[in-house]
Amino acid sequence: MGKYNEFLYDDIGNEYSRKHLYLQELARHQSTLKSVSASDKEKVIKSINVLTSNRKNHPYHVELEAFKKAERNFKVTLNAKLKLHMTSLDPSLDRKQRAFESELFKAKEKVNFYQSYTGLCYDAELEYEKGRLIIEQLPEIMLKYKNTVDELDQAKAHLEKIDPKKEEAFKSEYKAFKADQQKRYRDGVQKLKDKRAAKNISEKALKNGKIELKKKNKESLTLKSYESDKRATKELIGNKKYILSKGIKRDVNVMKSNISDVRRRMPMEVLKTKPFYAWLTAPLPGLGQLLNKQFFKAILFAIGSLFIYGIAIPYALGFGNYQGDGIAGLVTLASEGKKIDKSLIFMIEGIVAIFLVAFSIAIYLISYFDVLKVEKDIIKGIRPRNWFESLTKVESEGFPYLVSLPALIVTIFIVIVPITTAIMLSFTGMNPKNQSKFPWVGFDNYTLIATGSGLAGSVFWSILGWTLVWTLVATSMAILVGFMLAIIAHNDRIKGKTFFRTVFLLPWAVPAFITIMFFSIMFSPNGAITTILNDIFNVQLTVKTDPFYSRVVLILLQTWLGSSYVFLLSTGVLQAIPGDLYEAAQIDGATEWQKLRKITIPIVLFQTAPLLVGQYTFNFNNFSIIYLFNSGGPFNPSKYGNLAGSTDLLISYIYKLTMENQYQSIGAAITIVISLGLMLFAFIGFKNSKAFREERL
Amino acid sequence: MKLFKKKNELYLSDKQPLSSVGMVMLIISYVVLFAWSLAILWPLSDMIISAFNGRQEQYLMINTNFSFSLKHFDYLFNETLYFTWVKNTIFIAVVTAILTLIIVSFTGFAYSRYRFKGRKASLMAIMLIQTIPAFAGITAYFTMHSIISSIIPVFSRQMMLILIYAGGGIAGNTFILKGYIDSISTELDDAARIDGCSSMQVYRLIIMPIAKPMLAIIALWSFIGPFMDYLLPRVLLTSPESYTLAAGLFTLINDFRTLNQPAFAAGGLLTAVPIVALFIILQKQLVSGLSSGSVKG
Repeated sequence: MGKYNEFLYDDIGNEYSRKHLYLQELARHQSTLKSVSASDKEKVIKSINVLTSNRKNHPYHVELEAFKKAERNFKVTLNAKLKLHMTSLDPSLDRKQRAFESELFKAKEKVNFYQSYTGLCYDAELEYEKGRLIIEQLPEIMLKYKNTVDELDQAKAHLEKIDPKKEEAFKSEYKAFKADQQKRYRDGVQKLKDKRAAKNISEKALKNGKIELKKKNKESLTLKSYESDKRATKELIGNKKYILSKGIKRDVNVMKSNISDVRRRMPMEVLKTKPFYAWLTAPLPGLGQLLNKQFFKAILFAIGSLFIYGIAIPYALGFGNYQGDGIAGLVTLASEGKKIDKSLIFMIEGIVAIFLVAFSIAIYLISYFDVLKVEKDIIKGIRPRNWFESLTKVESEGFPYLVSLPALIVTIFIVIVPITTAIMLSFTGMNPKNQSKFPWVGFDNYTLIATGSGLAGSVFWSILGWTLVWTLVATSMAILVGFMLAIIAHNDRIKGKTFFRTVFLLPWAVPAFITIMFFSIMFSPNGAITTILNDIFNVQLTVKTDPFYSRVVLILLQTWLGSSYVFLLSTGVLQAIPGDLYEAAQIDGATEWQKLRKITIPIVLFQTAPLLVGQYTFNFNNFSIIYLFNSGGPFNPSKYGNLAGSTDLLISYIYKLTMENQYQSIGAAITIVISLGLMLFAFIGFKNSKAFREERL
Repeated sequence: MKLFKKKNELYLSDKQPLSSVGMVMLIISYVVLFAWSLAILWPLSDMIISAFNGRQEQYLMINTNFSFSLKHFDYLFNETLYFTWVKNTIFIAVVTAILTLIIVSFTGFAYSRYRFKGRKASLMAIMLIQTIPAFAGITAYFTMHSIISSIIPVFSRQMMLILIYAGGGIAGNTFILKGYIDSISTELDDAARIDGCSSMQVYRLIIMPIAKPMLAIIALWSFIGPFMDYLLPRVLLTSPESYTLAAGLFTLINDFRTLNQPAFAAGGLLTAVPIVALFIILQKQLVSGLSSGSVKG
């Protein structure tokens, strides 16, 4: 048999003595059992046995049973009485008032009944205290409600009785008042203008003075308009209506939270010593909550159950799939399916099924632990939360989860599922020959990449090399140029800063695809730049067919594009550096170069570092410039095979593999490899960032 | 009179007198600045001139003479689906911006104001996942679209695109907005709560009005995104009727059937002008939006 604690506790750890005398006796015996010597143990155990076998005849038990019987009777009679009481009420009361009346009546009856049982058990005491609270607070609310209703009726009646003549009179009065105010306003403005003309006040003071006068004018007009009986009454009606709908609700909520305060301080006693609802009801979330009498939670988890048994599990088993076979489809990949079945669809539906199942498992676990905790609390003496308390708890603590839910769903389906697909795809053999059906191939794709063999893998390392060179050189050049321009343009003596800043903004502001495409035109064999270069140097230079020149031009182009962004960032930081720093340096005799090296560069670098790092990752994946400029060309099949050109970056190579040549699985494998690299890069940067270290995330 | 003349000769500036070395440096600075301005303005002005040059034929040449004409615009408006592309792009951009705002305003608020389980881990996870290039999932997007559209027939490829833009922006924008909301004093929340505001009311009545500047920036960035992006529309959208501007204009220079480079210049010009105007007017806000996100990150 289970062990009973001598005391009860509430959720902040206050200790209460038991009112259940039988349990108290039992608990005392059990606690002495621990301290007594072996010889006395027999005796104690014996007395425990006597006690437990005689539970039904224990005086407290008898008393409790009597109480329960009386309570049942009371409830029956209460209902009858309530009906009688309700019919005796004034029929003009509205629904809300009737509800209040019924609650008040019940509370009064309950106080009468439970008063004599408060010493017997905590449940009775709780009912008693609850009733007292209601008797104390509800009448006030009812009175307020009644008064408000009366006032509302009065106001409505008044509104109908308003003399239209009076309104007319007021209208003309208001008109006169308005004209008067307008005149005053004009006079005031004129006075200000005179003052300004005499140069007694500044332009800004004039402007502010005007605004002030205008506001005053408006306010006095609004004030005056409420002198109209009609307007004032309407306002009053709106006000009273608001009190009836929102104000009363708030008062009731205050009362409810007072009740829940009492509930929190009132323990409960049960015979149960071991939680068993939790594992018993684990397969059906919602049932355990129902047994714990937490109806609000029960409804929430029942929705979860519906999701699990209505959607997740059938889908995972293959029912309701578009084409696939749930999780099983992930293993077979449609290899024995019909001719139109596609492995990719099977794979994606399998992944979706896995996520649905993962959701289901999460619901199971949350439900299980929730029931378990509530049960353990009940055994300790803590009352489970009622409807009102659960609602407020969900409102306050569940809020972040609730509002993040759309983001979570979108992220899972738009980001996580596709990425998982890519990861899985990299272990399959999806290539031009196996488009609709493909098998699992293990690590083959990765081996191809690592050893640089096969049609697609053979150029991996040379492309990686160019990608790294490109990333480092193009980004560093852009940063260098942008930063230098920012410093030069920041010089006090330079005139026309606005012009330069606006011009330097352009490469960033014009959509990159437009400039890249236009440069691509200008660099084509008959394009403007090619013609000029050929005229000046008198050579037949064809940029787009020469790998080396193509690369150089691409780097210069990215410098042109990227420096604009760096320029803007650095200018922003430069403007924020306080001038005192430079003055202090000047006084100490620093040269311009020293000021630059010791003050400017460190500050700018420190402030923009995370964004500059972002520029490197951006360029690593800068697909558009490569693809739009020359589609990754010029092509050189002897060196780069048929799939890639000599300016292709990994990202555009992946694009060509997956989209143009249907080598999806090796493309996916390369994506995974570079993603891992970038993630590591980002992780290190992220870990070292200030926000993360200071736990301010 | 003599006194005044002397006053004019006095050196009254705060700055030190310019030495001869300084003078040279200043001249060099001007030369550099003007040279770079030229480097920026020349290609752009060339684009503008070409767009208006009636002598340009299918290919852009430099040696043709200039004669003002609107025939390339005429071609653009009548022979291509330019207006459809504009409409598509604006539709995608607006819906993306609205969707992003709704989702991100909630998550930014939740991540800034609540300490819930899994908060740090999930932030870390989304930051890392974000580094994976957008078209890692491109193979899946196709198939996912066909699955979804079989269930919901109205689900078009453009909607898929919107979802991808919005979903991809959640992580970064949440981070930026969270940083901004962090800087709003929590005493405001407390005061509102004491007055009886629920979480939703605190969000709606207190936080969102104050965070408006950052929300505007996020909306603006999400709006501009679809104008700038070329890759995803190119891959996902298959018919010219559903193209966005970037994908549509590219057909004017890479497809032999529709090749017309001056028309491309005209279209590019029309697309760039409003965006450039937007950037110039709002440059301060746009840059501050960028850097505030980074400092907190």
